[in-house]
Amino acid sequence: MSDAQISAYADAAYGIAAAEGNIGEVEDELFRLGRVLQTNDELRGTLTDAHLPVERRAQIVEDLLDGKATRTTVSFVSMLVSAGRIGDLAAIAEAMAQRSAASRGEAVAEVRSAVPLTDAQLADLARALKARTNIDVTIRNVVDPTVMGGVVTQIGDSVLDGSVRTRLNQLREAF
Amino acid sequence: MNLLHSIVSPALLAAEGSNGKWLPADINEVIWGSLAFLIVATLLVKFGKAPIVNGLKARSDRIAEHLGEAAAAREAAEAERDRIKAALADSDSEAARIVEDARRAADQLGIDTAARTETEIAALRERAGADLAATRMQATADLSGELSRLALGAAEEVVASSLDDATQQRLIDDYISQVGAQN
Repeated sequence: MSDAQISAYADAAYGIAAAEGNIGEVEDELFRLGRVLQTNDELRGTLTDAHLPVERRAQIVEDLLDGKATRTTVSFVSMLVSAGRIGDLAAIAEAMAQRSAASRGEAVAEVRSAVPLTDAQLADLARALKARTNIDVTIRNVVDPTVMGGVVTQIGDSVLDGSVRTRLNQLREAF
Repeated sequence: MNLLHSIVSPALLAAEGSNGKWLPADINEVIWGSLAFLIVATLLVKFGKAPIVNGLKARSDRIAEHLGEAAAAREAAEAERDRIKAALADSDSEAARIVEDARRAADQLGIDTAARTETEIAALRERAGADLAATRMQATADLSGELSRLALGAAEEVVASSLDDATQQRLIDDYISQVGAQN
């Protein structure tokens, strides 16, 4: 899907969430579900399987998110399944987060770490990133075991890599 | 004259023998005998000399011709002999030359073969040396790579096992401090 289509879907999600008054929740739920789809091949394969009826795939989403997400999120994800765009959920969620952050005059930083950051660490990192970029930063913490240790932060096109994995790779290349 | 003498003498001797004197007693017999003799001799000289001389001359010519032919044949034989001798001598020298050429060719072939063999041996030795050096370098690189891989694998295992929660938190705090310090 093109960037323009992703941006359009993100704007639609943002508009619906804004209308419903739960932008933060929807944004967070879409982001998390997008990460799940990226890491769960079976779920992604099922929801994108064109041989399965759309109603069946939409029912799977309903069952999966029932009671665990807002009605806005469930409806939006069901709509993506019906439109055959569920494979782009992660990109749409990322675009929506940036859209939401931009509306607040903030930037979104995706922070990957082997263990979840504490609230204090998230606040400290947000301050450090603001001091570095001169803009407020909304942090999305993604737990990624491949990082091994440390943190990898991506803001837009900039990457601040302080992971143990990268250091080991650099050591491997040095040999 | 010799012929006449040879013809008359026996008659005289025969006459001498009959009466013991040099001439027969009957002079007429001597006269008629001499006359007959002269007639016969004249006829012989007149009609027999030429054929006899011609026969003798023809015979002499034949003999001379035969002698010439024999001499020519002899000269031809001698020439053939000389030619054969020369040919034999030439064939001997040709054979000797061929043998000598063959010996020289064999010697040169041996020299060339030895030189070529030396060159090929040197090239093979050089190539083997280069291959050996390349193989040694490759083996060293492979060994170094393998050791690096093993060492890094071991280091990764050690690092992974040492990344307890406290270490993870310290790494995150250090990262946040570094990000904040890079303003």
